[in-house]
Amino acid sequence: MEIFLRSGGKLREWLSPDVDNYTRRLEIDGGPTLREILATVGIPDGLVAFAFAGGKIRRLDYVPSDGDVITLQPPVSGG
Amino acid sequence: MELTKNELAVYARQVGIPGWGAEGQLRLKSSTVFVAGAGGLGCPAATYLAAAGVGRVVVCDADRVDRPNLNRQYLYSPSDVGRDKAPIARDRLLEINPSIEVEARVEEITGENAAGLIAGSDLILDCLDNLASRMALNRAAIAVRTPIVYSAVSELTGHLTVLSPPATPCLECFVTRTPPPAEPAIPGFTAGTMGTMQAMEAVKFLIGYGDCLTGRLLILEGVEPRVDVIDIERDPGCPACRGL
Repeated sequence: MEIFLRSGGKLREWLSPDVDNYTRRLEIDGGPTLREILATVGIPDGLVAFAFAGGKIRRLDYVPSDGDVITLQPPVSGG
Repeated sequence: MELTKNELAVYARQVGIPGWGAEGQLRLKSSTVFVAGAGGLGCPAATYLAAAGVGRVVVCDADRVDRPNLNRQYLYSPSDVGRDKAPIARDRLLEINPSIEVEARVEEITGENAAGLIAGSDLILDCLDNLASRMALNRAAIAVRTPIVYSAVSELTGHLTVLSPPATPCLECFVTRTPPPAEPAIPGFTAGTMGTMQAMEAVKFLIGYGDCLTGRLLILEGVEPRVDVIDIERDPGCPACRGL
């Protein structure tokens, strides 16, 4: 199945987008968790605070469905 | 409590909004808002609370003005470098609106003092710049059931939500990762946009106007540009609010 990872904030530097400037298309099989997918594409999970897909927050144990667009957010705490 | 002739004139361009009116303005006048942090978020947030007529604003910040603050913290000028932020912010806010009360607290927010600092506040604005103080403020606010309008920024990214557990998540329900220790880059327009939106959420909450960002997180990605509003839920195992 295919999913799309979108980068938020500083994570752009890690994602190597190929669909547009912010999005990378991935072919995945076997029902990996988001944490496992991040390891596959080389994004340290410590850089990801949370992700969201379908209008809801998703944690790193989330198992994506076919066609999911998953946006990654880094920790943000400045003021 | 009544609105004076001067107040009616100053607030004329907002009380005309249907659902706001003199009644809403009186609610603002009788409200106390605790603004935690007088930096990039706190400067615009406190400015628009004061200008809107919130009757008592408490500005709390332990820092002194430093040159790298001046790109976004517009209540301060180069001649303020080295001085405590909170008293300067108080003086500038009172210049903007002499009809209100503004209190300055030069204190770092910790687990020991947070409850005392926020006592008597109707609402808290989390405009802080570090996670430790944000977490201390979150726990103190949960204890006294005072809502928080939360924002955080980095580069062209901004987060905004209204935290009011048990109706909504608390901060620890969804902020589970510590940012890198380096200070984030923050241009003035990111902090200005998000701090201004904190003031908007605060005023809506205080007068009961419209719908607040409760249970939802607004994410601004200024680079694309893009705005998402996503649902956020309580974490049943959250160490801060699970007992509510």
